[in-house]
Parts: sequence; C-alpha cells; structure tokens
Amino acid sequence: MMAIRELKVCLLGDTGVGKSSIVCRFVQDHFDHNISPTIGASFMTKTVPCGNELHKFLIWDTAGQERFHSLAPMYYRGSAAAVIVYDITKQDSFHTLKKWVKELKEHGPENIVMAIAGNKCDLSDIREVPMKDAKEYAESIGAIVVETSAKNAVNIEELFQGIMIRTVCSSSLASWCWLCRRLLVSSELAAGLGHAAVPAVLGGVCLHRDSRL
Amino acid sequence: MGSCPGAEKPWDGCSFVLSAMRLLCSPALYGKVLLGPGKALLQLSFYWKRGLFCSPTDEYQGSAQAQSYKNLCLLLRAETLLVKLGNHHCFGDHEAKEEGDVAEARCKKWDMCAAEATTSLLQVEENFSACLARMDALIFKPLLQSEPSDQKGKENFKLFLLLNDQFQALWNLTEENYRIVKQKCSTSESFCIQDIYIVWKGDLFLSLYIQYFVTFANYVVVHGFEHATKSKSEAWKHHKTVLKQFLTDFTTETSMSLALYTVLHKPVRDHVEQYILLLNKLNEVLQEGSEKDIVTSAVKEYVKLKSFISQVLDEACFTKTLWKSLGYKFTDMLCVPERRLLEDSKNLPISASTNRSDRILLFDDVLVLIQGNSFQSFDLKLVWVDETCREKSAPGPYGLRIITPEETFVLSAKDPQMKAVWQWKLNQAIRQALNGKRDFPLWGKTGEGTEPSSCRFFTYVFRLESKFKNASYEGEWHWGKPHGKGTLKWRDGRNHVGDFKEGLEHGFGICLVPRRSEDRYDCYKCHWYEGKMRGYGICEYGNDMVYKGYFKDDVRQGFGILENFSAEHPFKYTGQWENDKKNGYGVWEDKDRGERYIGTWLDDHRHGQGIVVTQSGVCYQRTFHADKMVGSGILLLEDDSVYEGNFTQDLTFVGKGKLSFANGFILEGTFTNKSGQGLQTQGILNTSNEQLDERITKAQLGLKEFPVEKRWKGIYDQFLEFIHSGCKEEMEESFTGFHIQTSKELRKSQEYLFCQRGTEDVSWKTEDILEELVQHHELGSLQSYLEKALKSSLHPLGKLLKALTIAFQATYSGIGANRHLLTMAQEEVKYYAKKIWEFYQGLLHLALEQKGQLPAKCVDGEVSDQKAYSVVLPLILPCFYPELFMLYMLYHEREDDLYCQGIVDLSLFPDIKLLEFLDVQKHLWPLKDLTLTTNQRRSLIKDKCFLSATECLQKLITTVDPREKLLILQKTYEEIESTVSRVVEKDYKLPMDDLLPLLMYVVSRAKIQHLGAEIHLIRDLMDPTNQGGLYDFLLTALESCYEHIQRMRLHQRENCHVTRTS
Repeated sequence: MMAIRELKVCLLGDTGVGKSSIVCRFVQDHFDHNISPTIGASFMTKTVPCGNELHKFLIWDTAGQERFHSLAPMYYRGSAAAVIVYDITKQDSFHTLKKWVKELKEHGPENIVMAIAGNKCDLSDIREVPMKDAKEYAESIGAIVVETSAKNAVNIEELFQGIMIRTVCSSSLASWCWLCRRLLVSSELAAGLGHAAVPAVLGGVCLHRDSRL
Repeated sequence: MGSCPGAEKPWDGCSFVLSAMRLLCSPALYGKVLLGPGKALLQLSFYWKRGLFCSPTDEYQGSAQAQSYKNLCLLLRAETLLVKLGNHHCFGDHEAKEEGDVAEARCKKWDMCAAEATTSLLQVEENFSACLARMDALIFKPLLQSEPSDQKGKENFKLFLLLNDQFQALWNLTEENYRIVKQKCSTSESFCIQDIYIVWKGDLFLSLYIQYFVTFANYVVVHGFEHATKSKSEAWKHHKTVLKQFLTDFTTETSMSLALYTVLHKPVRDHVEQYILLLNKLNEVLQEGSEKDIVTSAVKEYVKLKSFISQVLDEACFTKTLWKSLGYKFTDMLCVPERRLLEDSKNLPISASTNRSDRILLFDDVLVLIQGNSFQSFDLKLVWVDETCREKSAPGPYGLRIITPEETFVLSAKDPQMKAVWQWKLNQAIRQALNGKRDFPLWGKTGEGTEPSSCRFFTYVFRLESKFKNASYEGEWHWGKPHGKGTLKWRDGRNHVGDFKEGLEHGFGICLVPRRSEDRYDCYKCHWYEGKMRGYGICEYGNDMVYKGYFKDDVRQGFGILENFSAEHPFKYTGQWENDKKNGYGVWEDKDRGERYIGTWLDDHRHGQGIVVTQSGVCYQRTFHADKMVGSGILLLEDDSVYEGNFTQDLTFVGKGKLSFANGFILEGTFTNKSGQGLQTQGILNTSNEQLDERITKAQLGLKEFPVEKRWKGIYDQFLEFIHSGCKEEMEESFTGFHIQTSKELRKSQEYLFCQRGTEDVSWKTEDILEELVQHHELGSLQSYLEKALKSSLHPLGKLLKALTIAFQATYSGIGANRHLLTMAQEEVKYYAKKIWEFYQGLLHLALEQKGQLPAKCVDGEVSDQKAYSVVLPLILPCFYPELFMLYMLYHEREDDLYCQGIVDLSLFPDIKLLEFLDVQKHLWPLKDLTLTTNQRRSLIKDKCFLSATECLQKLITTVDPREKLLILQKTYEEIESTVSRVVEKDYKLPMDDLLPLLMYVVSRAKIQHLGAEIHLIRDLMDPTNQGGLYDFLLTALESCYEHIQRMRLHQRENCHVTRTS
C-alpha cells in the first residue's frame, strides 16, 4: 500500500468567480475507485498519485460574501495551500485577491503555498485583468499562477499538480530554489508527473542548485 | 500385638484354652496363677510361651483340654461366674459335634438353618444373660454402693459409673432381644434373618461392645480396680468377704483387683467369640445369596470387634504399667483415662537430638519428651514427621525430623528398622489423632489414607518469642506453620483473619488493632505479602478516618484516598503516598473551608507548586514550602481581574504586586494591609489598555507544573506491575483493588471473613479475561469488547477506569469546576485513554504470549495514540463528561452568553425575514414548506423552514461521544441538502457560498445552549485523524456560524453605540 499524504487546500475568492466550479471540475475525473463523501461542493477530496506516494487533496471551500470574510481564518488554519481565485473578467475580484494574499501573509499558516487562478479564461475577449498583471503579481509574492477555465477544463490539472509539487518541495524529490523562486524537480518526479505538466508551471533548470539546500 | 497371638487365630473348639492363655499373658497374673494351678496349666503356659500352639487341636484333644479346664475351674473357684463361662464352651463344643451330623444336610431350607441358629443363639444368650446378672449382682451393685471420698477415688468412681452404664446398656440389649425371640420361639415355627438379631441389629451390638470395652479400658488405665478394692466403705468391706469366698485364691488386695478385672471383661469378650462361632456355622449352611452375604459381613464385623477388644485391652495394660512406673510428677500431669501409650523409647530405643531427652513416649494424642524431672508434650495434631531430611542439619542416617509449630527436633534411631517402626507408629498415631478415631492399623500397611494429611486444621497458642507470641492461631496448618485460612488472636484484642502462607500472613486478611487510648479499633482489610501489608487495602481507623488505597511493607504507599468523616475538620485527600505520608501529587479538599489544593506534597505538607480553588470561584497558583506560601503567585479572581504578586492565605495583597482589572486597567505597586485600615497601595494605575488579554483571563494553570504523565502515577504503577507479574488471579485484587461487590460486603460486616466473588453474567476470571482478549483483538469486536470490559467492575480495565474516575472527580468536580483548570482536565482525559490503551496492549501481549502465539510487532507510538483516541476515548468519555463539560461551559461562558443573545434576537425573525437577512439565495428558499392557514401571512410564519435539519442538529446534546456528535452534524448537512434538492428539483451540490447562510439559519433555529462548549469539546476530543477532513470541515462550519452569530450581536451593539453617541 502506498503512503497517503493529506493536503488541506482552501479556496478563497469572491462569490461568483467559480471557486467551486474549479474544484468540481478537478474532482470530476476521479482517480479514486471509491468516491469519498463530500459536503456538497463545499468540501471535496481527490487522491492523486505522485512518485511513490498518494496525495489526497482535502479541499475546503469558503463563503465568498464580504460579510463572512472575518470567518475565513477558521477555514484556512492548518492549510498547506490556498487557491485564490479571481475572475479575469472582473477587476474587482482581482482586488479582493490581493486582499486575501495580504491576509494570508499576515495571519495565514507559515509557508502556505499560494496558487492564483484566473478563472473564466474562455471569456478572454471580455477580459479586464491582463495576464501580465497577474504573472507579475504572482512572481512578486512567489505564488503559482495559472489562468483556468473550469468550463473548458483548462489548466485545472496543472494548477493542482503545481500545488502538489510545491507542497512536497521539502522532500528529496523536489526542492524550491529561493533565489530564482523556481522549483527544482528530480528527473524521477518529473517522469512521474509527465513532462508536459512540469514546464507549464516552471520552465528551465535552476543554476542555484545549492543555494537553499 | 505380639502379646496376644491367639486373638488372631480362630481355633476351633479351643476357645476355653485360649481364654486361659489370655489370663496368662498378663505378667501380673503369671506369678499368682502359677502358685495354685496344677501341672497341666504349667505345661500350658510352657507351651504357650514357646509358641507351640500351632496346632492345638491335635495336642489338646481329650484329656489335656479337659484337665486344663478342670484345673482352671479349681484355680479360680469362681464357679458362679466361670463355670457358666466354661459351660458355654462345653456346650458350644458339644453342639458343634452334634451338629456336625446336621451339617450334612446343607440343602435344608433357610427356615431350618434359621431355626437352628436361633435356637443356639437363644441358648448362648440365656447363659450370657445369667452371667451378666451375676456380674451385676456380685460386682457392680456392691461397688456402686461404696462411693469413695478422696479426690482420685471420686474421679475413678465416675468412670466406674460410666462403665456401669455401658454394662447395663449391653445387658438390657441382650435381655430385650433374647426375650423377644424367645417369645416368638414359643409361638411360631418359622424364622427369618431378622430373628438373628446379632446380625440384623449388628451395628447396635457392635457399638455397645466397643463402648463397653473402651470405658472398661479407661477404668483399667487409671488403676480403677486397685482403688475400688481398697474402698473403705462398710458395704464393700462386708461384701468383699463374701466375694472372697468365691475367689479363694485371691487373698491379697492385688489379686482381688486382678480377679475383678478378669471377671468383668472375660465373659463379655468370650461371648463375642461365641457369636462368631455361631455365625460361622450359620454361614456354612447357608447357600449363596443375599442372606449369606449379610451373615458373612456380620462375621467380619464381629471378628474385627474381637481383635479390637484384644488391642484395647493390651494398650490399656501397657499404659497402666507405664503410669505405675512413672513418678507422680508426671502422672499427675499426663495421666488421663483416655490416653494410651503407643510406644515407649524404653521398648523401642530412639533418642531426641534437642535437650537430650532420656525418654520419649508416644501416646495416642501427644508426643512426650521426658528429661529429668520435666517433660515437653506436643499435640499430635500439630506434629509432622519428615524422614526426608530436606534441611541442612540432616538428622543423621536414621533420623526423623519432628516438626511442631514452634519446635523442630530430630529423633534418631540406631538402625533403619527402628526408624521405620517409629516413623510408622508416629504417622499412624497422628493420623488417628487427626481422624479422632482409633482403628488399630496393621503394621506396615501403606497407601491411600494411611498417611496423615500434611494440611491440618487446629488451634494453637504461640508461646515462644516471635511475631505471634501469645497469639492463638485457629486455622489451617502445613508442616508446622499456619498455611491457608486462619484466625490469629492476641490477648489485647488484636486479631487477624485471613490467608496465611508458610507461617506468615499472605493474601487477603482482615486485621483489627485496638487503639491505645480509646475503646475503638483500626480495621484493616488488606492484602498481605509475606507477613506485611502490600497491595490494595481499606483501613477504617478508629478515629473516623478511612483510607482506601495501596500499602507496602505495612505502610501507606502508592495511590490512596484518606477521608475524615468526623464532624471536626472533615477532609479528603486523594493522591500519592510514600512511607505512610502524603508525598507527591495529590488533591486535598478541606470541607470546612470549602477549599481544594491541587499540587505536590512532601511528608504530609503542601510543598512545591500548588493550585488552590475555592468555593467562591477564586483560584490561585503558588509555591508552597512546608504548608507556607512563599514567593509570588498568580491570583485569578472571579470578576476576571488578575493579581500577580504576594498575597496571604485569606487573599489579601501584601508587598509588590500587579493587579489587572477586567476592563484593562492595570494597577502596579506596593500593597499593605494594616489591621482596621483596609487595603492600602502605592503605585501606578495604567488605563491605556482597552481590554484584558484573553490569555490572562483564561489562563490555564498547572500545565507545566504537573505534566500529565506525572499525575496519578500510583494508579498506573499498580496496573503495570500487575501485568508485569503475569496477571495472576490471586494477585488481581491486590493490584487492582477489591471487586466492587466484595468491598460492599466487607463494609457491611466486620465479621465477614473471606472475600466472596460477586457474580456478574460474564466470568471475569483472569484467565477468561486473557482468553477473551485474544478472541476480540480484531478491530471489529474490539470496540464492543472494550466497552463491556470498561463497564465491568471486575475487569482490570474497568477497575482502572473506576480509579481514574475517582481521581478525576476528586480534582475537577464541585469546587474544582474552575475554568482555569480546563486544559489540565482535558489533557488528563486524553492521557487516560492513552494509558488504558497501553494497558490493553499489555494485557493482549501477555495473553498472546501465554497462548504461545507471537505477539504482533510493537506498533509505533503515533499509531498507538491514534487508537487510544479513536477507540478508547469515546468509550471512557461518559465517565468524565459531566465534570469536563462543566469546565468547557465555564471556559466559554462569555462567548456562549453573547451567542445566546444573538440567538434570541434571531428567533424574533419570521422564516422569510431570516432567510433574507442571512442572504440565502431566493431560489433556495423552501417556500413550499410554508403552509398557510387562514389569517396567516406567509411573511410572518416561523420555524417551518429546514425543520428536519434543525431537529437533527438539536440532537447534538443527546450524546457525549464526539464521534456521534459529528455524525449528527453530517446528518444535519444531509437534511439541508435534501431540502434544497427538493426545492430546486434536482441534485444540488451546495457550494460554501450557499451552504454557510443555510447552516446559519439552521443553527439559529436549533437554539442549542452552550454551543461553544459543545464545539470545543468535540474539537478537543475528536479523533485526531479527522484533522482537515470532512468532520473537521463540518465542525469548522458550525464554529464559524457560532462565531458569526456572536459577532452579529457585537456589531449590533456597536451600531447602537454609534447611533446613540451621534
């Protein structure tokens, strides 16, 4: 039996940006034979193989309404990662995202992995948030960033793969270079993930291999 | 037995000669008789002495027999008695010859046989009866009239009276039966076996004969006849001369007594032989069948009787001779009518190792060592003979170790034969003494039932200097030592009832010790180990205090509870003891002051760190030094203010200190308290803080000072030791405490001696427990097994839980319910679960080992902890729930208040208004559930929406098990989901944006009191594997609702504030 590593991931973002749609899409193509119980679309799990381990995502949805913001700390406490979702067609949602990032930096768990998902990329013709802004912002905070489409299942897998790699970066298989803010992945892991997935998140190989190890 | 060989040999037709021989065996008679008798008798004795009587019938046919008969008659001249006696034999012989012809017709019917037998029986009886009548008239009557006046004579006379009673009984029985049969004989011709009454009523006859001879022998032993003949009474003097005419040859006093001896036993004894002859004849003519069997066995019994009589008489003579040869000093002390000498070291040389005794006498009840003018006697019931010299000081090649309660010595013989005889005689004497019955075993007979048991039951008073000096012990013995159950009693009233082992108290016992000054007792019901108290016990002291707990080496040691029930200064201490004093972690409740001290102790004093909680809810933590408070401490007041610094026991501030008020003001300075002037202070008041930090108001005490592993070690230690010792059944109560039923019964009665196991429907014998453990160690049945075990008052795990419950309640119930103790309590409960799981594992390991199965490899600590929380904790939680939940309630009191106000506000909202207020999306409103009656407006309807979910959530308080509470939560969610799906008419997966408002709606309608306490209890005690999972999520969702409702209230308040100020 393979070891199971549990990974608590919380979803943050405004109402209507498609938080739960992303999760639903991710969870839909189920790898598990036995489907674990869920709480509607609010709490879902998915188990994904990684190297010789199984990673079980425990995905906690949060209420996006402004009035419930103050309750969020209860949900993100103990999380390994946070997926912060904005709607590329709504500038406001990107603002809220920044607020979340700030709050997480201040009150969130230490070393929480942040992933920024610009959802609804199928509607890029009415886009309000340029991809470049998001990339630069993500770079500045060391977060993963992807533009996704829950509707068309674009980059959903990649988003969670990225989170998985980041969260295991302390293991021997992968390490995070703090200078260039890139992930160093061993060839073994890269093979396990499939080559296609890795560059989408990372690109290149780091020269500062020894810098933080 | 060598003295009477004739007794064993059935000589046909020669009984008379034998009777003569019997006379000759007595050395006393030997000389006297030989003075008068004719040559034939001389010859007889000559032959007899050389053992030439092998075939007497040949040699003494005809003249010799007749001659000797005549001579004897002459010799004794007691025609009235002895001629009759002789007649029996003559007639007997004649009949035998005549009936020799008759015997040919064996085919005759039983009737015939019976008739003949009856006739001859009647004849024999007639003669015997006449003989008895003469004995009565000539001997008993006159002797009874002459009661002596001296002490010794009086005692003997009593014996003679007894003898007379037995004689009369025997006579009456003979007469009576004779008369009945005689009557029948004259009227009827037919006879049956019932008519041969000596067969039919054999037992009665036998017992009367035995009694007669035993009494007779007693009288002989005390020289009764000698004394009687010397009687000074006039009647006797007169009678004596009459008697003398019959007993001409017995002119001297001695010969007189000898004659009496003879005439009083001989006819009776010979009569028994007559019976045997008669029955033998009858037996011969009988055909095989039940009647024959009966007669055969009767013959056997009479033959036994015959041999019994001869042995009784032999022993009596032997003993009588001994008393004659011993000085008055010994006879005064030792001579008792019933006592018989069995062996004498003068006859059969043997010597004792200790105190160089010159003579060793073995009686039927005691063993006596004589040395000079003193002697030692040992009751045979407490004498053990050990031939296998197992100890170092080997008794030599032919030695026997004699073991008695307080003395052990060696008897050494010169050769192995001598040793063997003594050993056999000793053992036989002991065995008979133990049985209380003499049975004259045949020499050398061995095997089952011939050896005395090494386990005895007897009473003995210890005399020598020892632990038990002057105590009397009544109970079971084994090889000279109290062993088994018994009672020890001292003269001062102290006593001990219980189990003993190898001379020491060992096992369960109850000991009463009188208190010096008062007329009261300390009563210990405890386990002993090699003479000292060890293990669990209850002591009820005479001064109204009761200790329940562990002992070691006679002092309180380990976990124990001491409670003072007296009206003066009642208290209760629950905790650790060392060396009879409070030492280590313990809880003291002063019932007068209403105070509880939780902390460490040193030699009965509070010493080290301690927490004090009071009735008023005040609580402080300080360092103690020999009962005095030293240094500064922290005082947590009921109104949330906190004082840090020095203060006295009555809670007045002294010296430097810092007082933080609940409103955030801080007063820092020096406090003084002069009498009559109240509290004075000099310092700075800081008013800048908005509110006191929760970390101070909710400070948790005792966590660092009393790490959970160090609390109640005394309880765990005993159980651990129990497992390490291999879970022996007999040690179980000693380690784990009395069975509840048992201790109840013990309390009921102080006289109650031994534990009786209470009966539950399941057997909780240790071996069964271990067996069952193995059967149920798979996870499926484990849960239900553990549940049963933990509920049982007899299962070790159940008892452990009980002990922990007591300790827990002693700390946290009543005045211990203080919010500053929550974490301590919560940690403790979790630790209990961990320990119980550990002990379960230990037991299982042992059980598997005993079954020869290899226990599974040790699982690592983390998995073990997980099991403890997931399996054990839910099972034990009910025992601690009331106290624990109370602590949670106190801890969350303020939040719960706020939440309650919020709930009250929300409860005023009609359903639709509330849904709107909570931002529930309109398409999810279950409007269909709002059924209207007339005069109702939809907008005003209350408590109809999501009713099923609300009712489900309300069940949260019906269980104490966090698992079940979480399940209820999940069901609540499912109810919400199903309601929503019904409303939108399709499966609807609720995202949090929708779920949270709905859940809030349900929570506000469910109106659960103390929801904060509930949530936190679940979170603290739920299975840690739930972390991050579904249940964690649900609980977080519930918690966020709880928080939100509180905040709504706060916001409202603030808004009010704002509007009012503006």
